[in-house]
Amino acid sequence: MIEISHLWKSFDGETDILKDINISIQKGEIVAILGSSGTGKSTLLRCLNYLTKPTDGIIRIGSHGIDAKKHSKKEIMELRSHSAMVFQNYNLFKNKTAIENIMEALITVKGKSKREAQEIGLRLLDKVGMLERKDFFPSKLSGGQQQRVGIARALALNPEVLLLDEPTSALDPELVGEVLNTIQKVAEDGATMILVTHEVMFARRIATRILFMAEGTIIADGTPKEILDNPEDERVKRFLDYNLK
Amino acid sequence: MFDLSYFFGVFPVIASKLQVTLLLTLTAAVFSIIIGVTIAVIAYYKIRILYPITRFYLSILRGTPLVAQLYFFYYGLARVSEIVLNMKPLTAVALVLSLNTGAFMSESIRGALLSVDSGQKEAAAMMGMSELQTIRRIVLPQAFRVSLPALFNDLINLLKATSLAFMLGVRDIMGQAKSEGAQSFRYFEIYLAVMIIYWLLVLGFSHLHKIMDRKCMEMY
Repeated sequence: MIEISHLWKSFDGETDILKDINISIQKGEIVAILGSSGTGKSTLLRCLNYLTKPTDGIIRIGSHGIDAKKHSKKEIMELRSHSAMVFQNYNLFKNKTAIENIMEALITVKGKSKREAQEIGLRLLDKVGMLERKDFFPSKLSGGQQQRVGIARALALNPEVLLLDEPTSALDPELVGEVLNTIQKVAEDGATMILVTHEVMFARRIATRILFMAEGTIIADGTPKEILDNPEDERVKRFLDYNLK
Repeated sequence: MFDLSYFFGVFPVIASKLQVTLLLTLTAAVFSIIIGVTIAVIAYYKIRILYPITRFYLSILRGTPLVAQLYFFYYGLARVSEIVLNMKPLTAVALVLSLNTGAFMSESIRGALLSVDSGQKEAAAMMGMSELQTIRRIVLPQAFRVSLPALFNDLINLLKATSLAFMLGVRDIMGQAKSEGAQSFRYFEIYLAVMIIYWLLVLGFSHLHKIMDRKCMEMY
């Protein structure tokens, strides 16, 4: 369902952040991308909806491929319509309440009626356990609560693939659990997900596949068992030693 | 000496022109906000061709005195333009004040636009919202709140600048005061009344600002 071929990203034309990434991901897979900081994990994820424009390569989600070398604005919009993203810093609209955050794109982008959008919003807020705070502005919510709304907002778009960019990295430790539980619930519903995270144990629990990145390339690709239980690469071993201590 | 009964007599006469001053202020405020937002958005996106034009406009309007702009427009352009020649002084003042205050407001709004977190735009882009939808529904409302103090500053300056309208013959608070002075020569009482009226108006605006600020705070 997702095809990434010969994907390159360099900033200022010199430093290569991504070097010739080639992956294909099937429907229903839950892919966790692991690796140390600065190895290109988030950049790779953000290239999938062109929030970061790759320098070269083709990304295909669904039927249409988009070429980094030549593409139109319309193609970017088309690409984005297949996915939804959950951000590290939540990025909820500060001038909208929890439910309005969810309804916004349903009305302005998907063309749904206000009532329809509201129904979807209420259902999803219930799912992430935020129904009682539906009329709260983000500034009145904790980080964990904001992120749960962020997840509901992404799900409302009914994406073919859910992209999660370090969804718990900005949270206080005691709030990580509630967000991980929500993500797990979504995973159990059979969503296709790509998750960049530092939570190795969590990745092991919910992922069906792990990609391990170092220096802009994927150095290991396999099931959690293969990658985490018997790591071959020295860099994976070191990462696990450090993160599982 | 200070003539109290003259003061109380002339105060309402001058204050009766309050509506001219307020009409001028509010009309110019509406148009300058429209001009300000438009120029700020052009600067925000650095829209081709339009951006250098608006920079030039800002440079002229902010780099010359308001009185010179009023005279250049009303007396200068009247020599080359029928429209200006036939224009009522009040319209001319409203126009020049709009253009002038719009230039200042655009800078206040532009700064506020830049202060909106880029993550807000990313979230909108991720969801497939167009740039126009994003700026209108997400960025501008958030920027509006940030720019509120600066905008009220511009608004108060605008209110005070309307007092130049008398120079084109408009009979506003200042114009009325001038003509009263020409008859009675009681400048102390007259201009004390003028000072008090403007001061009360500015206090009113400041109060309005406080109320709006509190409303915003309650929201988010």
